[in-house]
Amino acid sequence: MTVIEDTVGDLAADVNALAVFGPSSSEHDRYVGAADESDLATFVVGEENATGADEFIELPLEFGDVRDRIRFGIEGAMDRGLVEEGDVVACVVNVFSDEIDTAVRVRVAESLHTGIYDLFVNSRAEPSVIRDVLELVIELGKKGQKGEPVGALFVVGDAGKVMNKSRPLSYNPFEKSHVHVGDSIVTVMLKEFSRLDGAFVISDEGKIVSAYRYLEPSAEGVDIPKGLGTRHMAAAAITRDTNAIAIVLSESDGLVRAFKGSELVLELDPEEY
Amino acid sequence: MVTVGGVLGSIPRQLFLAAGLVIVGVILGLAAGRVNRRLLRRVGVPEAVEGTAFERTMRGFGTSTVSIIASLSAWFISGVSVLAAISVAQIDYLDDISAQVTSLLPQLFVALIVLIVGIVVGDKVELLVSERLKGIKLPEAAILPQLAKYSVIYVAVLIALGQVGVVTGALVVLLGAYAFALVVLGGLAFKDLLASGAAGMYLLLNQPYGIGDEVRIGEEAGIVQDIDVFVTRIEEDDREHVVPNNKVFEYGVVRTRRD
Repeated sequence: MTVIEDTVGDLAADVNALAVFGPSSSEHDRYVGAADESDLATFVVGEENATGADEFIELPLEFGDVRDRIRFGIEGAMDRGLVEEGDVVACVVNVFSDEIDTAVRVRVAESLHTGIYDLFVNSRAEPSVIRDVLELVIELGKKGQKGEPVGALFVVGDAGKVMNKSRPLSYNPFEKSHVHVGDSIVTVMLKEFSRLDGAFVISDEGKIVSAYRYLEPSAEGVDIPKGLGTRHMAAAAITRDTNAIAIVLSESDGLVRAFKGSELVLELDPEEY
Repeated sequence: MVTVGGVLGSIPRQLFLAAGLVIVGVILGLAAGRVNRRLLRRVGVPEAVEGTAFERTMRGFGTSTVSIIASLSAWFISGVSVLAAISVAQIDYLDDISAQVTSLLPQLFVALIVLIVGIVVGDKVELLVSERLKGIKLPEAAILPQLAKYSVIYVAVLIALGQVGVVTGALVVLLGAYAFALVVLGGLAFKDLLASGAAGMYLLLNQPYGIGDEVRIGEEAGIVQDIDVFVTRIEEDDREHVVPNNKVFEYGVVRTRRD
């Protein structure tokens, strides 16, 4: 047993900060309270700040993969200046149950900085709008259109510029309508409309401005991973020309990808959520 | 020998009638109270008054708004029956008083009900207004719910006083002045907002320009980013102009066609 205890001790040795993921109130008192006594920088990461922590980083969606969750938390902490490159962070997180059952030791490095946190917090559109769109796309990826896999492209934020740099492929079904992505009817509606070609355009506040848009950004110098198709290329290019972000559901491999500033910042599998 | 029958016989007939009336009245009153209580519960009054200050005070006394109103109706019917009994019994020296009380009783009853309803509605209005203002973290905003509450209670008191015949002329004038000030000042303050709202309704319904169009409204030119009921957001390079919608009607819109 001593080997295991040594291992756990090694994990916690010489850390600069402690990240507590989704604590219950008793767990919050235990970890955060103890860390306060030892002057350790502590922050809480979770979907909502139920325990009223001082330093709180909000998870915009329920990351199934623990690595994504930790990455998002660390990125948020870097962005807020709670930790710096080279710091060692001890993360306590729940993997198999609702209780905290795992400790992870992470060295903060630039390679951890993928831009997921930046995607949500520093985009033009509201974080909740981005979350709603992402949830919508994930659901679309899971169920598809009548069992068939579908592809879709959502451009979120900076709607004016996006509309200005695109043209209609056909009549806009959302003309003079005032639906928002959070509305409950939208899921059904978008599922039906997703068989249409072209992109969906969504404003900063979440209003669905248009469907059926053909994006016309210049793709010059846009570099995306090889093997992705024209839809991804268009998505990456529009995020370079405007301040929008683009969320793409791939028809061929069923993955959801998000682009910002022509960079691929998020790639996730709908089946894991 | 004075028999029981003799004693009973010597009591005037009307007294029996009067006693019977009182008993029937009290029974009717209790029944009405019960029916009212059920009715109020069925309509959902307890949920509606939940959380109001009046209800909480009543709970403190171990009762509730519903049972107060129910017992009020019970007392009212019993009281009427007692008055009827008095007039039947023809107790002379009570006649004068009873005539006055009879005319006053229904009014008093209505006044009480109006007062209670007014207080409860006032509490409810206060709750609703403060709920709406919850997002605004401004200490001064806390006065608005109070103001709304006391406005409602003031009107209720006026109606109640009017019922029992107290002269309320001066109070009505005060109310008029208050309402007038509210309308005039509110109209002045919301003038631009209302004009923008009216213009915004037209813009949203007819969409003379949409998101993504290049427009010029007065001095401001750029790409339309968003249109809502009150304002249009126009973006030009890194600058966002928030233009009130009434400006659209004041200056008109110049729309640049691309193709």
